[in-house]
Amino acid sequence: MTRNRYWRLLLLLAAVMALLPDAALRAADKELNVIAAYNAKQDIFDAFSKATGIKVNQLDMSSGEVLARMRAEKGRPLADVWFGGGVDAFIAARKDGLLEPYISPEAAHIDAKYKDAEGYWTGISLVTVDFVVNTKILKERGIPVPETWEALTAPEFKGEISMSDPSISGTAYFTLYSVLAARGKEKGWEFFAKLAENIPFYAKRGSEPPQRAAMGESLVGLAPGLWPELQAQGYPIAYVFPKDGIPWWPAPVAIFKDAAHMEAAKALVDWALSRQGQELLKTKDPRFPTRADVAPPESLAGVDTSAFIPMDFLKAGEERAEVLKTWQERFAK
Amino acid sequence: MAGTIRQIDESLPPGGAARRAAPFFLSPQGLVYGLILASVLVFVLWPILAVFLQSVIIDGRPSLAGYARLFTREAGLLWNSVFSSALATILSVGLATCVALYLAHTRLPGKRLVLGVLMLSIIAPPFVSSLVYIMLFGRRGLVTHQLLGLDINPYGWHGVVLMQTAGFTAMAALLILGVLHRVDRGLEHAANDLGASGPRVIIGVTLPLAAPGLLVAAIMVFIRALSDFGTPIIIGGRFTTLATQAYLNVVGLFDMPRAAAMSMVLLIPALAAFLLYRRVLGTTNVLGAAPGLERARDRIGLPAPTQWVLALCTWGFIGFEIGKYATILCGAFTRTWGLDFTPTLAHLQALTADRLGSFLRSLHYSVAAGAAGAVLGGVIAYVLERKRPPGGRILDFIADLPYIIPGPFFGIAYILAFHNPPLALTGTAFIVVANCVYRQLPVSIKAGMAALRQCRPETEAGARDLGARERHVVMDIVAPMMKPALLIAFINTFTSTMITIGAIIFLVSPDTKVLTVDMFGEIKRGRIGEAAVLANVIIVSVLAVNLLFSWLYLRKRKA
Repeated sequence: MTRNRYWRLLLLLAAVMALLPDAALRAADKELNVIAAYNAKQDIFDAFSKATGIKVNQLDMSSGEVLARMRAEKGRPLADVWFGGGVDAFIAARKDGLLEPYISPEAAHIDAKYKDAEGYWTGISLVTVDFVVNTKILKERGIPVPETWEALTAPEFKGEISMSDPSISGTAYFTLYSVLAARGKEKGWEFFAKLAENIPFYAKRGSEPPQRAAMGESLVGLAPGLWPELQAQGYPIAYVFPKDGIPWWPAPVAIFKDAAHMEAAKALVDWALSRQGQELLKTKDPRFPTRADVAPPESLAGVDTSAFIPMDFLKAGEERAEVLKTWQERFAK
Repeated sequence: MAGTIRQIDESLPPGGAARRAAPFFLSPQGLVYGLILASVLVFVLWPILAVFLQSVIIDGRPSLAGYARLFTREAGLLWNSVFSSALATILSVGLATCVALYLAHTRLPGKRLVLGVLMLSIIAPPFVSSLVYIMLFGRRGLVTHQLLGLDINPYGWHGVVLMQTAGFTAMAALLILGVLHRVDRGLEHAANDLGASGPRVIIGVTLPLAAPGLLVAAIMVFIRALSDFGTPIIIGGRFTTLATQAYLNVVGLFDMPRAAAMSMVLLIPALAAFLLYRRVLGTTNVLGAAPGLERARDRIGLPAPTQWVLALCTWGFIGFEIGKYATILCGAFTRTWGLDFTPTLAHLQALTADRLGSFLRSLHYSVAAGAAGAVLGGVIAYVLERKRPPGGRILDFIADLPYIIPGPFFGIAYILAFHNPPLALTGTAFIVVANCVYRQLPVSIKAGMAALRQCRPETEAGARDLGARERHVVMDIVAPMMKPALLIAFINTFTSTMITIGAIIFLVSPDTKVLTVDMFGEIKRGRIGEAAVLANVIIVSVLAVNLLFSWLYLRKRKA
């Protein structure tokens, strides 16, 4: 009989758990659902919640997944706000009619090249491509820290440069496109051919190259924005912004069309673009702010902003198929 | 009365249902059964059809262009998939056979530990294992570089095959062990008495008798390896497979039709293996066996060299697995994974309130999925086995399909199938749970059918003849008989829901996300220590629930 008692208790427990409505697990009256691709996003949203009393449910999703899912679901909003990611995906989403235009009053402080003219998306920070280098192995082998793109083509980096597949990763495509844009198509491809000699294979995830460099699986990893996390974890790395051209693009914030919590969504956009918000963002994830009246974080103070490669993001999107075709024919391996 | 008829004519379904079939399925209970069976069509067949439609309709027009490319210029992808999966299958079944023989046919020590590690190995969250592999055996790996001073390159097909071998050996070993236990020891002794040496008996008698079990294990490993998309992403290097490319085509290129076509092509080898599986499974009972140890004393003795080989394989594998879990545990409590082993509790900051919410949601969804899986699997098994409705075999086949499909495929299938009214379910918790339930339904049904086959249908017929209503028969006779099967279904669905990522990554929303998704996010951001903390939370909680249930199960068997 005691056996049956255990069973009944367990069954009861299972039934309660199974039938409990999901809503019972959350108990906030003001809520906001956010898709975020940002370092330290929990701290950022905690600060927002503290400032506004709005609770944030966040989900980390790559821009590609967001687009693929929303297209498959014929535009049903995945969340209320899309926070950070590749500007190319935001441009594509705007074209597909997946975004809600909203011109925040704070957007007036932001340069036109960091935002969509009609308010479909607005840049919250700038993503900049850096080299993450493994200083421990560099020292072991007596190789100086590479400070330019040219330096990466040296023979001592053979098999040691890690880059993601530009046909899969949006950041890798922008990196490739920037390298071409900085040198002009013909010279750009010539240069890339030299660089490709040193790339053993193209990684299948955008965030992989810096992690490979951190773990010592390669000397240099090309991808933006992961060094703060890796440095905090204690890996022997340094981050280098190449002197002969820094690829960059804005990381936007946007509201999804038909968002369920429109007012709260606007509040988050306003907050992220506000002076106070931008000051907080840069301490949590050190990137260049988009507001002119907010100084860059200390860790980026020495970076020469004149090395930013001039970019036309619409053109980068239009030429994507053509550039990737050339890349695939010549370098895919 | 009904019993005698059945003994004469096997084709007549039990319980005298044949004569009453048509009216029965119109009765209230019949309608409930009908609805449950129909749910398989809605939640399995329709999503798969939706993927197929997506692959042949490009830009609103029917087109086979996606397929043409895959069979010509990109035929290498299919070859890569089949080649690496086949190799991983051979290696892991070989290794698993050694482990199972060690457990069943030797008198060597440490068997409880081996069995425990095998059970534990089944609950490894995805991606984490591959990261551990790089850390231990990478170019700068702890074992390969720092201890042995080697400079090897683990990236490529060999890395994928090794990793898959390690990943699937535990499952295969448990299956093979169940079959080995049932090999008639009388035959082994007869061969031994006639002068055959120990190894000859194993090769000439034991393994041929266990062959169907080996084959089933091989097919299950092959199918799992085919649909494994995560391993090649992390350690494939230049090497890639169809499942991986299908996943990357969605998340990287937003190219749904192409991903759909790749997934459909992947079904060809998987279906071929699966049809073989169903043929073999018809003659053997593999899934019904609960893994356990029995005394090897009655088994024939093996010479020392053979025992040494078995011990070497077994402990090599067990050592690797223990190393893996130790590394995951260390990762959570040391400063930098693999570099700086200073103990720290800093990574515990990963356990934020938001994470606690995800964890509770994980538990909640998993219990719900486990309970639903047990009930659905039990009812479907009962209806298919005892009522034998028309089309039952086809339905059983359809219900098995999720097993051979890569996780992302099944997730994408759900998005495509359930975003329109009247079945607009995307974004809800229901779709996440339903996906997990139906993905594990094959195991739930198989366990239920195996349990029912061990019970005599006469008991139910007797109760009916004495005037019991259908619901009494089900609740008072069938359900108690199926208790072990329901338990297996619950624990299997629960466990897989707790650790799954491939399918539900496409189905979760910010307010329905679960802990594996958070863990995946940490891995993406390079916060490996935090990811290790979350992996440990998942492993420990799944382990606790598994132990609780196996304790209940064993109590029951002893009682």
